[in-house]
Amino acid sequence: MKKLILLIVGLLLLLIVSMGVAVSVGEEVALGEVYRVLWHRLSFGQGAVPDATADRIVWLLRMPRVLLALLVGGGLSIIGAAMQTLVRNPLAEPYILGISSGASAGASLFYLGFLPPLLSKALSMPLAAFLGGLVAITIVYLVARSGSRLSVARLLLAGVAMAALMASITSFVTFSSPDPDKLRAVLFWLLGSLHNATWTILPLPALVTLFGLLVMLGLARPLDAMLMGDEPAHNLGVPVEATKRLLIVLAALVTGALVATSGAIGFVGLIVPHAVRTVVGVTHRRLLPACFLAGALFLLWADLAARALLPSEQLPVGIITALCGVPFFLVLLRRSEYGFG
Amino acid sequence: MTVQRFIFLLFLFGAMLAVGCRNTPDAARLTTLVTDDLGRSVEIPRTVERVVTLAPNLTEIVFTAGAGHKLAGATAVDNYPPAVEALPRFSVLPIDFEAIVALKPDLVLATDQVNTLNDAATFDALGLPVYFFSYNSLEGMLQSVRTAGTLLGTSARAAIAADSLDAAIAALRRLTDSLETRPTTLFLIGDETLYAFGQGNYIHDVIALAGGESITVEFETRAPVLNDEYVLTRKPEVIVGAFGEDYDPAKLLALHPTWDIVPAIRNGRVYGLNPDHFLRPTPRLVEGAWRMAERLHPALFQASEEPVEP
Repeated sequence: MKKLILLIVGLLLLLIVSMGVAVSVGEEVALGEVYRVLWHRLSFGQGAVPDATADRIVWLLRMPRVLLALLVGGGLSIIGAAMQTLVRNPLAEPYILGISSGASAGASLFYLGFLPPLLSKALSMPLAAFLGGLVAITIVYLVARSGSRLSVARLLLAGVAMAALMASITSFVTFSSPDPDKLRAVLFWLLGSLHNATWTILPLPALVTLFGLLVMLGLARPLDAMLMGDEPAHNLGVPVEATKRLLIVLAALVTGALVATSGAIGFVGLIVPHAVRTVVGVTHRRLLPACFLAGALFLLWADLAARALLPSEQLPVGIITALCGVPFFLVLLRRSEYGFG
Repeated sequence: MTVQRFIFLLFLFGAMLAVGCRNTPDAARLTTLVTDDLGRSVEIPRTVERVVTLAPNLTEIVFTAGAGHKLAGATAVDNYPPAVEALPRFSVLPIDFEAIVALKPDLVLATDQVNTLNDAATFDALGLPVYFFSYNSLEGMLQSVRTAGTLLGTSARAAIAADSLDAAIAALRRLTDSLETRPTTLFLIGDETLYAFGQGNYIHDVIALAGGESITVEFETRAPVLNDEYVLTRKPEVIVGAFGEDYDPAKLLALHPTWDIVPAIRNGRVYGLNPDHFLRPTPRLVEGAWRMAERLHPALFQASEEPVEP
């Protein structure tokens, strides 16, 4: 327990320092000016009034982007951890299982006007993303299951195939749309980027992600039991099937809300839970909070790298996470005897 | 191996040779060797009767050079001059080789901005010579008009056209050279996604000619997508977009709300202009430069309407 608290405090400190770095990197804004902006904004108008340009850059452009990176990184990581428990295999992850691509397809179908706006525009796109993700993961799950068994090979293959199918749908609707600027959208939906971040789009992904985290923390004990297998979990009184369905819907919900704001960013949910598990073990009560913080930190640094590699321009952060994630995935694939011990 | 089989193979070989020969230039036909802008040697007929271009800017250049009547067809995206409407169309992205061969051209004009050497290799195999244009400046555009005239046998008319374009450029330069203020200008291709021109592009020539100072002239990437921070820190005094003349500047601010303090937006100096005048490096760049100058220096043009000493 002491180790966990130390880790959480350490991660929090690192996170705050990293946020400081992240809002200082980009077009040249003097460090003193960055502090002035932060102090002025965080103290509700105390202190010297900062330069207007610096204020806009630091507070209106970089800060929401940093917060979105934290949410998306944290959210995808806990969903990755949940999926890995669901299928009892460390290779599961929203991107690999096709949830992200499904959500992308749903969101882009809506974005390009193929789906009617059911609610307000701000809610319809995440809703479309949620439904897309839900369709994708349901099909993948049903294909991989035979009886009460889940074939890992089939799961991964079905996930990869579903991701390709959903990416084709996204590409097709984007390329068949008339507006040339929308072609850029296909890159956004397929590779993922945080450049759309503003304060106004943050509340929804924040609420959904925190809701997901809380529900999963509430499920921490049943999830622990499910790691031992369906039979033992059932004997311990866990409603296994209901929990699995709940997890799938929850995964589609959180992934949908995140993908609607940032596209399909891959492999975060793969790398982070694995790394965290080696430190805090497999108990979900410890794993999930640590995963959330570590995932937030990971995507923050990945986005920082994307911004530093092509200054003044926009490099989708999904490229960076895939560059880190795929080798990792291959190593995990090679270590077949990997377990949750 | 049976005798029959051997004879069959012999025939096959002969047939292949015959097919190969069909593409070699007819000895009776006069050809000449020219070097294109990429330094490639191209063997072209001494008198070109039918030509196709692979990009709309080259079509405009051929018309300006006085050789529009030699065009055997036009690309699917050609829309200028109006005479292209009467020509048969073919797709260029990707290149529809079959349609182009069916038009029986004896020369194909390409530009390294859109076309690749792989395309040229395919045309080579089809026995069609490809001449590549490559230019990144107003001067290069004028030179291309002259070159097109030389290739197509209309060099006298091309020279007249190039000279008059040159005169229009010189006239504008005389107007803008004496200006004391040259507003810092950002030229955008997209309003939501901030496509722009980086270093080594003709657009910076046009902006300078119009009396402005392009802020992306030194940008390392040739075709960057800018971020919002960049525009905030560079503080352009004017933003010119290839968004069309009827563009509503309020839309740019709505898409980028943090730009309310950018001088161009604060002072209402966001202008949409006809994309075809700027995104296609053609003789119409000169017209574009005049239009841009009217936006950058309105006072200059109000004054010039009154009778002044020449």
